[in-house]
Amino acid sequence: MKLVYRGAEADIYSDEWAGEGAIFKFRKPLPYRHPELDAEIRAQRTVREAEIIHDAKAAGVNAPSLYYVSQPESLIVMEEIEGPRLKSLLSTPGRDPAAISFDFGVAVGRLHRGGIMHGDLTTSNVLVDQAGVRMIDFGLSAHSIKVEDHAVDLRLIKETLAGAHSKIAVVVMASFMKGYASEVGEARAKTVGRKLVEIERRGRYARLE
Amino acid sequence: MRRNLCVLGIESTAHTFSASVAKENEKLLSDVKDVYVPPEGSGIHPTEAAKHHALVAAKVIKEALSASGVKAGDIDAVAYAMGPGLGPCLRVGAVSARTMALALGKPLVPVNHAIGHIELGCMLTGAKSPLVLLISGGHTMVISCSAGMWRVLGETLDLTLGQLLDQLGRHFGYSSPCGRRIEEAASRSHRYLRLPYTVKGNDVSFSGLITAAKRLVDVGEPFEDVCFSVQESAFATTVEVTERALAFTGSKEVMVVGGVAANKRLSEMLNVMVERHSARLSVVPLRYSGDCGAQIAWTGLLAFKEGVTIPVEKSLIRQSWRLDTVPLPWRTAA
Repeated sequence: MKLVYRGAEADIYSDEWAGEGAIFKFRKPLPYRHPELDAEIRAQRTVREAEIIHDAKAAGVNAPSLYYVSQPESLIVMEEIEGPRLKSLLSTPGRDPAAISFDFGVAVGRLHRGGIMHGDLTTSNVLVDQAGVRMIDFGLSAHSIKVEDHAVDLRLIKETLAGAHSKIAVVVMASFMKGYASEVGEARAKTVGRKLVEIERRGRYARLE
Repeated sequence: MRRNLCVLGIESTAHTFSASVAKENEKLLSDVKDVYVPPEGSGIHPTEAAKHHALVAAKVIKEALSASGVKAGDIDAVAYAMGPGLGPCLRVGAVSARTMALALGKPLVPVNHAIGHIELGCMLTGAKSPLVLLISGGHTMVISCSAGMWRVLGETLDLTLGQLLDQLGRHFGYSSPCGRRIEEAASRSHRYLRLPYTVKGNDVSFSGLITAAKRLVDVGEPFEDVCFSVQESAFATTVEVTERALAFTGSKEVMVVGGVAANKRLSEMLNVMVERHSARLSVVPLRYSGDCGAQIAWTGLLAFKEGVTIPVEKSLIRQSWRLDTVPLPWRTAA
């Protein structure tokens, strides 16, 4: 088994499952966390991720297929997606980010329309392969149709863009919102967008004008 | 511009009034502070703190100058914390700085307090462009520098870590800042009580945690167990979002600055975390983790070198001044 990525809360290995390329996602114990707290969080996130991947697919979102889930090991085995992260696509100079950002918006819109908030929408958690935009990492996801929760998702996208893709952040966000609105409808997109501004204003030292 | 510049810095954003002299080659020549202590069981009352600052300002500045061995006439510029912070407190620092600048006939340099923590931390620890965890009474933020600005990768959605610890301490009758007493109490317990653990993407939230913790105190759970559990929950969420940002940026250098950086349990947790990613952790020395004039003097020096000044008539204060809106000419020039 080959370690392909060391994330914040899981180690990702690549191997085979029934002859197909598969990803083994282990939520290893985090030694800095109190053992009781750690065990609880890992079990909860493993189960939730598996559950939501299933529901996201039902909502028409292109999430990876699940092969195997083991709560005692905090392990999920799923389809290996062969494609770059959105983060690296957006960092490729000379590439027009508009089309892929629109598709990203469509995917998130579909998820929200299906009553799911992702909870961790950074550009590291979106992959792009031949099938288009694929979403991963549902460990912090939840069932929700609340405007607030959906706006929290958009806020994280905006925060990530400003933090890691500052030069193209405005362009990407604009075409993301177009894609998003095409799924959830103009009116809902506006409502969520307004809530996003409200959440930003609640932030510390945010400008009030 | 002439070499080996010398800057006087004045800090007054919250409970601390402090002045410091920094020189380009010798770095920090002095750092004198006087801290406002609120009555038992209360937090900082902004006007009371400002009154304290006004009383000690002249003495602190005088001491900082004499301890530095620099003659007032050799000061090249006066830097002050323009924000963010408590209005009445900021005003005392601004008035003191304007007075000094006018009396010495030297330019004024506005400094963002949060960036002051970061730049002083970089100078003291030798970190170049680290992923920064800024934790204090005013901030709980994960920050990295890209394209000439400090960018926020994650932050608290409500209370800061400092506020969380202070509010818990005050609920028990202590006065702010309570961090040290809570750490001491926590070190006597190993009993973990279930408390909310809220991570939203790269952000944290402590409002549910403080409510639950106060309730535990009210129903008679031992204070040290509550302190232990609050530290375990709150610090673990903070370390988790730092780890998320570290995995995201691929950075190999993490620096922790701000008053809460003094907490041993937190730096222990951060150390364990960075090891997993083969990164290096720098913690700002205890002496300079809290608010101090040195952060303003040193950052003022970096800014002044790049020609950043402000005319006295425009030298207002900015209670809300997010660090991700401040250009950093000294980082873009390099």
